[in-house]
Amino acid sequence: MSAIAAKPGANAGSFQPIPSVIAIVIAIILVVVAYFLGSSGILAGGAQFVLQTFCLIILGAALIAFGVHFVPVGGAPAAMGQAPGIATGVAMLATGAGLAGLFGGAWAAELGLGVALASGAIGGALMMAITCLMVNISYVFGMGIPAASGKVLKDPITGDLQAAYKSQGTEGHGLPFISYVGGVIGGLFGGLGGTLIYIQLLDFYNVGLPALGFVGAADINMLSVGLAGIFAIGMFLVIAVLSAYNITGTIEGPHDPKFKRFPRAIVAAILASAVCGLVAMLVVALF
Amino acid sequence: MQEIIIGIGVTALAGALAAVAGAAEDTESNIGSQGDPNSQVQLAPQMGYTHRIYNKAVSGEPPAYTLWVTLACGVAWAFLMLGVNAILAIIFGTVLATFVQGVYATTAYLGRTASLSKFGQPVFIDVVKSVTTVTMAHAFVAIFATVTVCYLMMTVIGHPFALPLLGIVWGLALGAAGSATGNPYYGKERQYQNQKFGAGVPISASGNIVRYAEAGQRSSIDNGFFTAKFGGPASGICFGLIVFFELWRTIIFEDFLAGWGAVIVGALIIVVFMIIDRYVEVWARKNYGPYTVEA
Repeated sequence: MSAIAAKPGANAGSFQPIPSVIAIVIAIILVVVAYFLGSSGILAGGAQFVLQTFCLIILGAALIAFGVHFVPVGGAPAAMGQAPGIATGVAMLATGAGLAGLFGGAWAAELGLGVALASGAIGGALMMAITCLMVNISYVFGMGIPAASGKVLKDPITGDLQAAYKSQGTEGHGLPFISYVGGVIGGLFGGLGGTLIYIQLLDFYNVGLPALGFVGAADINMLSVGLAGIFAIGMFLVIAVLSAYNITGTIEGPHDPKFKRFPRAIVAAILASAVCGLVAMLVVALF
Repeated sequence: MQEIIIGIGVTALAGALAAVAGAAEDTESNIGSQGDPNSQVQLAPQMGYTHRIYNKAVSGEPPAYTLWVTLACGVAWAFLMLGVNAILAIIFGTVLATFVQGVYATTAYLGRTASLSKFGQPVFIDVVKSVTTVTMAHAFVAIFATVTVCYLMMTVIGHPFALPLLGIVWGLALGAAGSATGNPYYGKERQYQNQKFGAGVPISASGNIVRYAEAGQRSSIDNGFFTAKFGGPASGICFGLIVFFELWRTIIFEDFLAGWGAVIVGALIIVVFMIIDRYVEVWARKNYGPYTVEA
Protein backbone atom coordinates (compact mmCIF):
# COMPACT_ATOMS: atom_id res chain seq x y z
CA MET A 1 0.00 0.00 0.00
CA SER A 2 1.33 3.44 -0.87
CA ALA A 3 1.56 6.24 1.67
CA ILE A 4 -1.28 8.07 -0.04
CA ALA A 5 -3.53 5.03 0.06
CA ALA A 6 -2.70 4.55 3.75
CA LYS A 7 -3.99 8.01 4.69
CA PRO A 8 -6.89 7.90 7.13
CA GLY A 9 -10.29 8.07 5.53
CA ALA A 10 -13.61 9.35 6.77
CA ASN A 11 -13.79 6.74 9.54
CA ALA A 12 -10.47 7.79 11.11
CA GLY A 13 -10.71 7.51 14.86
CA SER A 14 -13.72 5.22 14.80
CA PHE A 15 -14.02 2.46 17.36
CA GLN A 16 -12.31 -0.72 16.20
CA PRO A 17 -13.94 -3.76 17.84
CA ILE A 18 -11.33 -6.48 17.23
CA PRO A 19 -8.23 -4.64 18.57
CA SER A 20 -10.37 -3.34 21.43
CA VAL A 21 -11.50 -6.84 22.41
CA ILE A 22 -7.90 -8.07 22.24
CA ALA A 23 -6.79 -5.15 24.48
CA ILE A 24 -9.55 -5.83 27.01
CA VAL A 25 -8.73 -9.56 27.06
CA ILE A 26 -5.03 -8.84 27.74
CA ALA A 27 -6.03 -6.39 30.48
CA ILE A 28 -8.30 -9.04 32.07
CA ILE A 29 -5.42 -11.55 31.95
CA LEU A 30 -3.23 -9.00 33.77
CA VAL A 31 -5.96 -8.52 36.39
CA VAL A 32 -6.02 -12.29 36.92
CA VAL A 33 -2.20 -12.27 37.20
CA ALA A 34 -2.43 -9.52 39.84
CA TYR A 35 -5.02 -11.56 41.77
CA PHE A 36 -2.77 -14.62 41.60
CA LEU A 37 0.25 -12.59 42.82
CA GLY A 38 -1.85 -11.35 45.74
CA SER A 39 -3.27 -14.74 46.69
CA SER A 40 0.15 -16.43 46.49
CA GLY A 41 1.68 -13.80 48.82
CA ILE A 42 4.12 -12.39 46.27
CA LEU A 43 2.36 -9.04 46.61
CA ALA A 44 1.61 -8.13 50.23
CA GLY A 45 -1.86 -7.35 51.57
CA GLY A 46 -3.89 -10.30 50.31
CA ALA A 47 -5.67 -11.08 47.04
CA GLN A 48 -8.65 -8.77 47.66
CA PHE A 49 -6.45 -5.77 48.51
CA VAL A 50 -4.19 -6.30 45.49
CA LEU A 51 -7.18 -6.75 43.17
CA GLN A 52 -8.88 -3.63 44.51
CA THR A 53 -5.71 -1.53 44.17
CA PHE A 54 -5.09 -2.78 40.64
CA CYS A 55 -8.66 -2.18 39.46
CA LEU A 56 -8.77 1.33 40.94
CA ILE A 57 -5.46 2.20 39.21
CA ILE A 58 -7.06 1.14 35.92
CA LEU A 59 -10.18 3.20 36.75
CA GLY A 60 -7.97 6.23 37.45
CA ALA A 61 -6.27 5.82 34.08
CA ALA A 62 -9.62 5.55 32.30
CA LEU A 63 -10.75 8.79 33.99
CA ILE A 64 -7.58 10.54 32.80
CA ALA A 65 -8.04 9.30 29.22
CA PHE A 66 -11.67 10.49 29.25
CA GLY A 67 -10.68 13.86 30.75
CA VAL A 68 -7.95 14.59 28.21
CA HIS A 69 -10.60 14.66 25.45
CA PHE A 70 -12.38 17.60 27.12
CA VAL A 71 -9.30 19.86 27.12
CA PRO A 72 -9.46 22.36 24.23
CA VAL A 73 -6.06 22.28 22.56
CA GLY A 74 -5.20 24.20 19.42
CA GLY A 75 -1.46 23.60 19.17
CA ALA A 76 0.54 25.71 16.69
CA PRO A 77 -2.49 27.00 14.69
CA ALA A 78 -3.99 28.43 17.91
CA ALA A 79 -0.75 30.33 18.52
CA MET A 80 -1.39 32.31 15.31
CA GLY A 81 -5.12 32.72 15.96
CA GLN A 82 -5.87 30.25 13.15
CA ALA A 83 -7.79 27.71 15.24
CA PRO A 84 -9.63 27.72 18.57
CA GLY A 85 -8.12 26.19 21.69
CA ILE A 86 -5.11 26.63 23.91
CA ALA A 87 -1.83 27.13 22.04
CA THR A 88 0.08 24.15 23.39
CA GLY A 89 0.23 20.36 23.13
CA VAL A 90 -2.57 18.05 24.32
CA ALA A 91 -0.37 15.86 26.50
CA MET A 92 1.48 18.79 28.04
CA LEU A 93 -1.57 20.78 29.04
CA ALA A 94 -3.54 17.80 30.29
CA THR A 95 -0.55 16.61 32.30
CA GLY A 96 0.01 20.10 33.70
CA ALA A 97 -3.58 20.23 34.95
CA GLY A 98 -3.50 16.64 36.20
CA LEU A 99 -0.29 17.15 38.14
CA ALA A 100 -1.60 20.37 39.69
CA GLY A 101 -4.53 18.23 40.83
CA LEU A 102 -2.20 15.50 42.06
CA PHE A 103 -0.37 18.16 44.12
CA GLY A 104 -3.64 19.05 45.88
CA GLY A 105 -4.74 15.42 46.22
CA ALA A 106 -1.43 14.29 47.71
CA TRP A 107 -1.57 17.17 50.17
CA ALA A 108 -5.02 16.11 51.34
CA ALA A 109 -4.23 12.36 51.36
CA GLU A 110 -4.21 12.16 55.17
CA LEU A 111 -7.77 13.55 55.35
CA GLY A 112 -9.31 10.47 53.74
CA LEU A 113 -9.98 9.13 50.25
CA GLY A 114 -13.04 11.29 49.54
CA VAL A 115 -11.45 14.62 50.45
CA ALA A 116 -8.20 13.72 48.65
CA LEU A 117 -10.02 12.78 45.43
CA ALA A 118 -12.20 15.90 45.54
CA SER A 119 -9.18 18.07 46.32
CA GLY A 120 -7.25 16.56 43.41
CA ALA A 121 -10.16 17.08 41.03
CA ILE A 122 -10.69 20.68 42.12
CA GLY A 123 -6.92 21.36 41.91
CA GLY A 124 -6.83 20.25 38.27
CA ALA A 125 -10.01 22.16 37.43
CA LEU A 126 -8.73 25.32 39.13
CA MET A 127 -5.51 25.21 37.11
CA MET A 128 -7.50 24.90 33.89
CA ALA A 129 -10.03 27.59 34.92
CA ILE A 130 -7.22 30.13 35.46
CA THR A 131 -5.27 29.10 32.34
CA CYS A 132 -8.34 29.20 30.08
CA LEU A 133 -9.33 32.63 31.45
CA MET A 134 -5.85 34.02 30.79
CA VAL A 135 -5.95 32.58 27.26
CA ASN A 136 -9.15 34.50 26.52
CA ILE A 137 -7.78 37.66 28.18
CA SER A 138 -4.70 37.36 25.98
CA TYR A 139 -6.81 37.03 22.82
CA VAL A 140 -9.35 39.73 23.72
CA PHE A 141 -7.21 42.41 25.38
CA GLY A 142 -3.82 41.64 23.83
CA MET A 143 -4.82 40.90 20.27
CA GLY A 144 -8.36 42.30 19.92
CA ILE A 145 -9.82 38.97 18.77
CA PRO A 146 -13.17 37.60 20.04
CA ALA A 147 -13.60 33.87 20.71
CA ALA A 148 -15.19 31.80 17.93
CA SER A 149 -15.57 28.08 17.31
CA GLY A 150 -14.90 26.57 13.91
CA LYS A 151 -16.74 23.30 14.55
CA VAL A 152 -20.27 24.36 15.57
CA LEU A 153 -22.68 27.07 14.42
CA LYS A 154 -23.87 27.84 17.94
CA ASP A 155 -22.20 27.48 21.31
CA PRO A 156 -24.07 24.51 22.88
CA ILE A 157 -24.18 26.20 26.31
CA THR A 158 -24.73 29.90 25.59
CA GLY A 159 -26.35 29.61 22.17
CA ASP A 160 -24.03 32.33 20.77
CA LEU A 161 -23.63 32.25 16.99
CA GLN A 162 -20.04 31.46 16.04
CA ALA A 163 -19.53 31.78 12.26
CA ALA A 164 -19.78 35.59 12.09
CA TYR A 165 -17.09 36.04 14.73
CA LYS A 166 -14.57 33.92 12.86
CA SER A 167 -12.00 36.08 11.07
CA GLN A 168 -11.33 35.47 7.39
CA GLY A 169 -9.09 32.54 6.47
CA THR A 170 -9.14 30.95 9.92
CA GLU A 171 -10.98 28.09 11.61
CA GLY A 172 -11.84 30.24 14.63
CA HIS A 173 -9.85 31.45 17.62
CA GLY A 174 -9.83 31.81 21.39
CA LEU A 175 -11.97 29.78 23.74
CA PRO A 176 -15.77 29.94 23.30
CA PHE A 177 -17.61 29.20 26.56
CA ILE A 178 -18.15 25.51 25.72
CA SER A 179 -14.37 25.09 25.29
CA TYR A 180 -13.76 26.87 28.60
CA VAL A 181 -16.17 24.54 30.39
CA GLY A 182 -14.55 21.58 28.59
CA GLY A 183 -11.15 22.65 29.87
CA VAL A 184 -12.40 22.82 33.45
CA ILE A 185 -14.08 19.39 33.17
CA GLY A 186 -10.88 17.96 31.65
CA GLY A 187 -8.83 19.27 34.57
CA LEU A 188 -11.43 17.84 36.96
CA PHE A 189 -11.19 14.32 35.51
CA GLY A 190 -7.41 14.53 35.15
CA GLY A 191 -6.88 15.58 38.76
CA LEU A 192 -9.37 12.95 39.97
CA GLY A 193 -7.77 10.10 38.00
CA GLY A 194 -4.20 11.07 38.89
CA THR A 195 -5.02 11.35 42.58
CA LEU A 196 -6.86 8.01 42.56
CA ILE A 197 -3.77 6.29 41.13
CA TYR A 198 -1.50 8.06 43.63
CA ILE A 199 -3.63 7.19 46.70
CA GLN A 200 -3.96 3.54 45.66
CA LEU A 201 -0.21 3.19 45.12
CA LEU A 202 0.54 5.04 48.37
CA ASP A 203 -1.65 2.64 50.40
CA PHE A 204 -0.17 -0.32 48.55
CA TYR A 205 3.44 0.71 49.24
CA ASN A 206 2.61 1.46 52.89
CA VAL A 207 1.60 -2.22 53.17
CA GLY A 208 4.26 -3.64 50.85
CA LEU A 209 7.37 -1.90 52.17
CA PRO A 210 7.11 -3.19 55.80
CA ALA A 211 6.57 -6.70 54.37
CA LEU A 212 9.85 -6.29 52.48
CA GLY A 213 11.62 -5.60 55.79
CA PHE A 214 11.67 -1.81 55.84
CA VAL A 215 11.34 -0.35 59.35
CA GLY A 216 10.45 3.08 60.75
CA ALA A 217 7.04 4.57 59.95
CA ALA A 218 8.43 7.97 58.89
CA ASP A 219 11.02 6.47 56.52
CA ILE A 220 8.48 4.06 55.03
CA ASN A 221 6.01 6.89 54.48
CA MET A 222 8.65 9.08 52.80
CA LEU A 223 9.63 6.23 50.48
CA SER A 224 5.97 5.39 49.75
CA VAL A 225 5.15 9.01 48.91
CA GLY A 226 8.17 9.21 46.59
CA LEU A 227 7.44 5.93 44.80
CA ALA A 228 3.70 6.58 44.50
CA GLY A 229 4.33 10.13 43.27
CA ILE A 230 6.83 9.04 40.61
CA PHE A 231 4.64 6.20 39.32
CA ALA A 232 1.48 8.34 39.36
CA ILE A 233 3.21 11.08 37.35
CA GLY A 234 4.69 8.49 34.96
CA MET A 235 1.36 6.78 34.40
CA PHE A 236 -0.31 10.15 33.89
CA LEU A 237 2.18 10.95 31.13
CA VAL A 238 1.62 7.55 29.48
CA ILE A 239 -2.17 7.97 29.42
CA ALA A 240 -2.04 11.63 28.34
CA VAL A 241 0.29 10.84 25.42
CA LEU A 242 -1.87 7.85 24.37
CA SER A 243 -4.95 10.07 24.39
CA ALA A 244 -3.09 12.80 22.49
CA TYR A 245 -2.41 10.29 19.69
CA ASN A 246 -6.14 9.54 19.62
CA ILE A 247 -6.92 13.26 19.30
CA THR A 248 -4.22 13.80 16.62
CA GLY A 249 -3.16 17.37 17.30
CA THR A 250 -6.08 19.64 18.03
CA ILE A 251 -9.52 19.43 19.63
CA GLU A 252 -11.98 22.17 20.56
CA GLY A 253 -13.60 20.41 23.50
CA PRO A 254 -16.68 18.25 24.11
CA HIS A 255 -18.51 19.71 21.07
CA ASP A 256 -15.71 18.72 18.68
CA PRO A 257 -16.49 15.64 16.51
CA LYS A 258 -13.13 14.20 17.62
CA PHE A 259 -14.51 13.97 21.18
CA LYS A 260 -16.48 10.88 20.09
CA ARG A 261 -13.18 9.04 19.77
CA PHE A 262 -12.80 8.77 23.55
CA PRO A 263 -13.92 5.10 23.91
CA ARG A 264 -10.86 4.06 21.90
CA ALA A 265 -8.54 6.02 24.21
CA ILE A 266 -10.22 4.51 27.28
CA VAL A 267 -9.61 0.98 25.99
CA ALA A 268 -5.96 1.84 25.25
CA ALA A 269 -5.62 3.45 28.69
CA ILE A 270 -7.06 0.36 30.40
CA LEU A 271 -4.44 -1.85 28.77
CA ALA A 272 -1.53 0.58 29.23
CA SER A 273 -2.39 1.23 32.87
CA ALA A 274 -2.76 -2.51 33.51
CA VAL A 275 0.82 -3.04 32.30
CA CYS A 276 2.20 0.05 34.08
CA GLY A 277 0.19 -0.67 37.23
CA LEU A 278 1.51 -4.22 37.45
CA VAL A 279 5.09 -2.97 37.05
CA ALA A 280 4.50 -0.32 39.72
CA MET A 281 3.14 -2.96 42.12
CA LEU A 282 5.91 -5.46 41.41
CA VAL A 283 8.42 -2.94 42.80
CA VAL A 284 7.54 -4.24 46.26
CA ALA A 285 7.08 -7.91 45.28
CA LEU A 286 8.35 -10.61 47.65
CA PHE A 287 10.22 -12.84 45.20
CA MET B 1 -3.16 30.99 64.49
CA GLN B 2 0.55 31.66 64.05
CA GLU B 3 0.75 28.77 61.58
CA ILE B 4 -2.06 30.25 59.51
CA ILE B 5 -0.44 33.72 59.47
CA ILE B 6 2.89 32.22 58.36
CA GLY B 7 0.98 30.15 55.81
CA ILE B 8 -0.71 33.28 54.39
CA GLY B 9 2.65 35.07 54.17
CA VAL B 10 4.29 32.12 52.43
CA THR B 11 1.31 31.79 50.08
CA ALA B 12 1.65 35.44 49.08
CA LEU B 13 5.41 35.07 48.63
CA ALA B 14 5.00 31.88 46.59
CA GLY B 15 2.36 33.56 44.42
CA ALA B 16 4.63 36.55 43.81
CA LEU B 17 7.62 34.33 43.00
CA ALA B 18 5.44 32.28 40.65
CA ALA B 19 4.37 35.48 38.87
CA VAL B 20 8.03 36.39 38.33
CA ALA B 21 8.74 32.83 37.15
CA GLY B 22 5.86 32.88 34.67
CA ALA B 23 6.88 36.24 33.20
CA ALA B 24 10.54 35.17 32.86
CA GLU B 25 9.55 31.80 31.40
CA ASP B 26 7.41 33.32 28.67
CA THR B 27 10.00 35.95 27.78
CA GLU B 28 12.72 33.29 27.69
CA SER B 29 10.67 31.04 25.43
CA ASN B 30 9.82 33.95 23.10
CA ILE B 31 13.44 35.10 22.79
CA GLY B 32 14.49 31.50 22.13
CA SER B 33 11.33 30.89 20.07
CA GLN B 34 10.49 27.66 21.86
CA GLY B 35 6.70 27.74 21.92
CA ASP B 36 4.22 26.56 19.30
CA PRO B 37 4.74 29.69 17.09
CA ASN B 38 8.20 28.30 16.34
CA SER B 39 6.50 26.18 13.67
CA GLN B 40 6.44 29.42 11.62
CA VAL B 41 10.12 30.13 12.29
CA GLN B 42 10.91 26.64 11.05
CA LEU B 43 8.52 26.98 8.11
CA ALA B 44 9.64 30.45 6.91
CA PRO B 45 12.87 29.40 5.08
CA GLN B 46 10.93 26.61 3.37
CA MET B 47 8.59 29.31 1.97
CA GLY B 48 11.56 31.39 0.81
CA TYR B 49 11.85 33.72 3.82
CA THR B 50 15.31 33.40 5.42
CA HIS B 51 15.62 35.09 8.82
CA ARG B 52 17.76 35.69 11.93
CA ILE B 53 15.22 34.42 14.49
CA TYR B 54 16.52 32.04 17.16
CA ASN B 55 15.08 28.54 16.92
CA LYS B 56 15.40 26.11 19.82
CA ALA B 57 12.10 24.25 19.93
CA VAL B 58 13.26 20.64 19.95
CA SER B 59 10.73 20.08 22.74
CA GLY B 60 7.72 21.98 24.06
CA GLU B 61 8.07 24.39 26.97
CA PRO B 62 6.40 22.14 29.59
CA PRO B 63 8.78 19.14 29.23
CA ALA B 64 11.80 21.45 28.87
CA TYR B 65 10.94 23.35 32.05
CA THR B 66 10.12 20.10 33.83
CA LEU B 67 13.68 18.98 33.07
CA TRP B 68 15.35 22.20 34.13
CA VAL B 69 13.31 22.82 37.29
CA THR B 70 13.54 19.17 38.38
CA LEU B 71 17.28 19.17 37.75
CA ALA B 72 17.68 22.33 39.84
CA CYS B 73 15.43 20.88 42.57
CA GLY B 74 17.38 17.59 42.60
CA VAL B 75 20.76 19.30 42.91
CA ALA B 76 19.43 21.74 45.52
CA TRP B 77 17.97 18.83 47.49
CA ALA B 78 21.30 16.97 47.41
CA PHE B 79 23.09 20.07 48.75
CA LEU B 80 20.39 20.54 51.41
CA MET B 81 20.95 16.95 52.55
CA LEU B 82 24.66 17.81 52.88
CA GLY B 83 23.71 20.66 55.20
CA VAL B 84 24.39 23.52 52.77
CA ASN B 85 22.53 26.78 53.35
CA ALA B 86 19.15 26.69 51.56
CA ILE B 87 19.65 29.81 49.42
CA LEU B 88 23.10 28.63 48.32
CA ALA B 89 21.75 25.16 47.57
CA ILE B 90 18.96 26.60 45.40
CA ILE B 91 21.47 28.84 43.58
CA PHE B 92 23.83 25.89 42.94
CA GLY B 93 20.96 23.84 41.52
CA THR B 94 19.70 26.73 39.39
CA VAL B 95 23.16 27.50 38.00
CA LEU B 96 23.62 23.88 36.91
CA ALA B 97 20.14 23.75 35.35
CA THR B 98 20.83 27.05 33.55
CA PHE B 99 24.03 25.61 32.03
CA VAL B 100 22.04 22.59 30.85
CA GLN B 101 19.51 25.03 29.35
CA GLY B 102 22.39 26.83 27.60
CA VAL B 103 23.73 23.60 26.12
CA TYR B 104 20.20 22.62 25.08
CA ALA B 105 19.60 26.02 23.46
CA THR B 106 22.89 26.01 21.54
CA THR B 107 22.58 22.48 20.20
CA ALA B 108 18.89 23.00 19.43
CA TYR B 109 19.57 26.20 17.46
CA LEU B 110 22.46 24.67 15.53
CA GLY B 111 20.57 21.44 14.83
CA ARG B 112 17.26 22.95 13.81
CA THR B 113 18.79 25.72 11.72
CA ALA B 114 21.33 23.43 10.02
CA SER B 115 18.44 21.18 8.98
CA LEU B 116 17.15 24.12 6.90
CA SER B 117 20.38 24.54 4.91
CA LYS B 118 18.79 23.04 1.79
CA PHE B 119 16.39 26.03 1.80
CA GLY B 120 19.28 28.53 1.98
CA GLN B 121 18.92 29.34 5.68
CA PRO B 122 22.38 30.14 7.16
CA VAL B 123 23.49 29.39 10.75
CA PHE B 124 24.45 32.75 12.29
CA ILE B 125 27.19 32.34 14.89
CA ASP B 126 26.66 35.90 16.18
CA VAL B 127 23.02 34.99 16.86
CA VAL B 128 24.16 32.01 18.94
CA LYS B 129 26.58 34.25 20.87
CA SER B 130 24.19 37.11 21.52
CA VAL B 131 20.85 35.36 22.07
CA THR B 132 21.85 32.19 23.97
CA THR B 133 23.16 34.11 26.98
CA VAL B 134 19.99 36.24 27.10
CA THR B 135 17.75 33.14 27.16
CA MET B 136 20.00 31.66 29.86
CA ALA B 137 19.60 34.77 32.01
CA HIS B 138 15.81 34.63 31.73
CA ALA B 139 15.84 30.87 32.35
CA PHE B 140 17.87 31.45 35.53
CA VAL B 141 15.22 33.80 36.88
CA ALA B 142 12.36 31.43 35.97
CA ILE B 143 14.07 28.34 37.41
CA PHE B 144 15.29 30.07 40.59
CA ALA B 145 11.85 31.47 41.37
CA THR B 146 10.12 28.11 40.73
CA VAL B 147 12.62 26.11 42.80
CA THR B 148 12.16 28.61 45.64
CA VAL B 149 8.38 28.13 45.41
CA CYS B 150 8.90 24.36 45.60
CA TYR B 151 11.26 24.77 48.56
CA LEU B 152 8.69 26.87 50.43
CA MET B 153 6.01 24.24 49.70
CA MET B 154 8.22 21.45 51.02
CA THR B 155 9.59 23.13 54.17
CA VAL B 156 7.23 25.82 55.44
CA ILE B 157 3.91 24.53 54.11
CA GLY B 158 4.81 20.87 54.63
CA HIS B 159 3.71 19.21 51.38
CA PRO B 160 4.52 15.48 51.50
CA PHE B 161 6.34 15.45 48.10
CA ALA B 162 10.13 15.72 48.09
CA LEU B 163 11.73 18.71 46.34
CA PRO B 164 12.49 16.95 43.00
CA LEU B 165 8.90 15.64 42.78
CA LEU B 166 7.55 19.13 43.40
CA GLY B 167 9.96 20.26 40.67
CA ILE B 168 8.30 17.89 38.19
CA VAL B 169 4.80 19.10 39.12
CA TRP B 170 5.49 22.84 39.10
CA GLY B 171 8.04 22.82 36.27
CA LEU B 172 5.41 21.24 34.05
CA ALA B 173 2.67 23.58 35.28
CA LEU B 174 4.97 26.58 34.68
CA GLY B 175 5.63 25.51 31.10
CA ALA B 176 1.95 24.71 30.49
CA ALA B 177 0.72 28.06 31.88
CA GLY B 178 3.42 30.06 30.12
CA SER B 179 2.94 28.44 26.73
CA ALA B 180 -0.87 28.55 26.92
CA THR B 181 -1.03 32.26 27.76
CA GLY B 182 2.07 33.65 26.09
CA ASN B 183 2.22 31.70 22.82
CA PRO B 184 -0.65 33.45 20.97
CA TYR B 185 0.76 36.87 21.75
CA TYR B 186 4.18 35.94 20.36
CA GLY B 187 2.77 33.95 17.45
CA LYS B 188 0.02 36.26 16.24
CA GLU B 189 0.99 39.68 17.54
CA ARG B 190 4.76 39.66 17.08
CA GLN B 191 5.60 37.21 14.32
CA TYR B 192 2.73 38.47 12.18
CA GLN B 193 2.81 42.22 12.80
CA ASN B 194 2.38 42.59 9.05
CA GLN B 195 -1.17 41.14 9.34
CA LYS B 196 -4.32 42.97 10.41
CA PHE B 197 -4.76 43.72 14.11
CA GLY B 198 -7.88 42.21 15.65
CA ALA B 199 -8.07 39.13 13.45
CA GLY B 200 -6.41 35.72 13.31
CA VAL B 201 -3.61 35.06 10.83
CA PRO B 202 -5.10 33.64 7.60
CA ILE B 203 -3.78 30.15 6.97
CA SER B 204 -2.56 31.32 3.54
CA ALA B 205 -0.08 33.70 5.25
CA SER B 206 1.71 30.87 7.09
CA GLY B 207 5.48 31.21 7.02
CA ASN B 208 5.51 34.90 6.03
CA ILE B 209 6.83 36.09 9.40
CA VAL B 210 8.13 39.62 9.96
CA ARG B 211 11.89 39.50 9.44
CA TYR B 212 12.92 43.17 9.34
CA ALA B 213 13.10 45.76 12.12
CA GLU B 214 13.37 49.58 12.02
CA ALA B 215 17.01 49.16 11.04
CA GLY B 216 18.29 45.90 9.59
CA GLN B 217 17.01 42.43 10.32
CA ARG B 218 14.84 41.66 13.34
CA SER B 219 16.59 40.09 16.32
CA SER B 220 15.05 37.54 18.66
CA ILE B 221 15.99 39.76 21.60
CA ASP B 222 13.55 42.37 20.21
CA ASN B 223 10.86 39.68 20.38
CA GLY B 224 11.49 39.37 24.14
CA PHE B 225 11.36 43.17 24.46
CA PHE B 226 7.97 43.22 22.70
CA THR B 227 6.28 40.27 24.42
CA ALA B 228 7.54 41.33 27.87
CA LYS B 229 4.92 44.11 27.66
CA PHE B 230 1.91 41.78 27.57
CA GLY B 231 2.56 38.07 27.01
CA GLY B 232 5.14 37.82 29.79
CA PRO B 233 3.13 39.57 32.51
CA ALA B 234 -0.05 37.71 31.46
CA SER B 235 1.79 34.38 31.78
CA GLY B 236 3.16 35.54 35.13
CA ILE B 237 -0.32 36.41 36.40
CA CYS B 238 -1.58 33.02 35.15
CA PHE B 239 1.08 30.96 36.93
CA GLY B 240 1.02 33.24 39.98
CA LEU B 241 -2.76 32.85 40.35
CA ILE B 242 -2.51 29.05 39.97
CA VAL B 243 0.11 28.74 42.72
CA PHE B 244 -1.56 31.32 44.97
CA PHE B 245 -5.09 29.92 44.85
CA GLU B 246 -3.88 26.30 45.10
CA LEU B 247 -2.06 27.12 48.35
CA TRP B 248 -4.49 29.71 49.70
CA ARG B 249 -7.64 27.58 49.53
CA THR B 250 -5.87 24.71 51.28
CA ILE B 251 -4.04 26.66 54.00
CA ILE B 252 -7.02 28.77 55.06
CA PHE B 253 -9.95 26.40 54.55
CA GLU B 254 -8.58 22.88 55.04
CA ASP B 255 -9.59 22.86 58.72
CA PHE B 256 -13.24 23.54 57.90
CA LEU B 257 -15.67 20.61 57.43
CA ALA B 258 -12.89 18.00 57.80
CA GLY B 259 -11.07 19.10 54.69
CA TRP B 260 -14.14 19.72 52.50
CA GLY B 261 -13.84 23.46 53.15
CA ALA B 262 -10.86 23.74 50.78
CA VAL B 263 -12.76 21.74 48.14
CA ILE B 264 -15.87 23.94 48.36
CA VAL B 265 -13.83 27.16 48.25
CA GLY B 266 -11.88 25.79 45.26
CA ALA B 267 -15.16 25.09 43.46
CA LEU B 268 -16.42 28.61 44.24
CA ILE B 269 -13.20 30.15 42.88
CA ILE B 270 -13.68 28.14 39.67
CA VAL B 271 -17.23 29.49 39.33
CA VAL B 272 -15.96 33.06 39.83
CA PHE B 273 -13.31 32.59 37.12
CA MET B 274 -15.98 31.08 34.86
CA ILE B 275 -18.19 34.17 35.30
CA ILE B 276 -15.23 36.49 34.58
CA ASP B 277 -14.44 34.48 31.44
CA ARG B 278 -18.02 34.72 30.21
CA TYR B 279 -18.01 38.47 30.87
CA VAL B 280 -14.76 38.87 28.86
CA GLU B 281 -16.21 36.79 26.01
CA VAL B 282 -19.44 38.82 25.86
CA TRP B 283 -17.51 42.11 26.20
CA ALA B 284 -15.36 41.18 23.19
CA ARG B 285 -18.38 40.19 21.09
CA LYS B 286 -20.19 43.45 21.91
CA ASN B 287 -17.23 45.80 21.49
CA TYR B 288 -15.47 44.24 18.52
CA GLY B 289 -18.58 43.00 16.76
CA PRO B 290 -18.83 40.27 14.13
CA TYR B 291 -16.48 40.13 11.11
CA THR B 292 -19.40 39.39 8.80
CA VAL B 293 -23.16 39.84 9.09
CA GLU B 294 -24.68 37.35 11.52
CA ALA B 295 -26.76 34.66 9.84
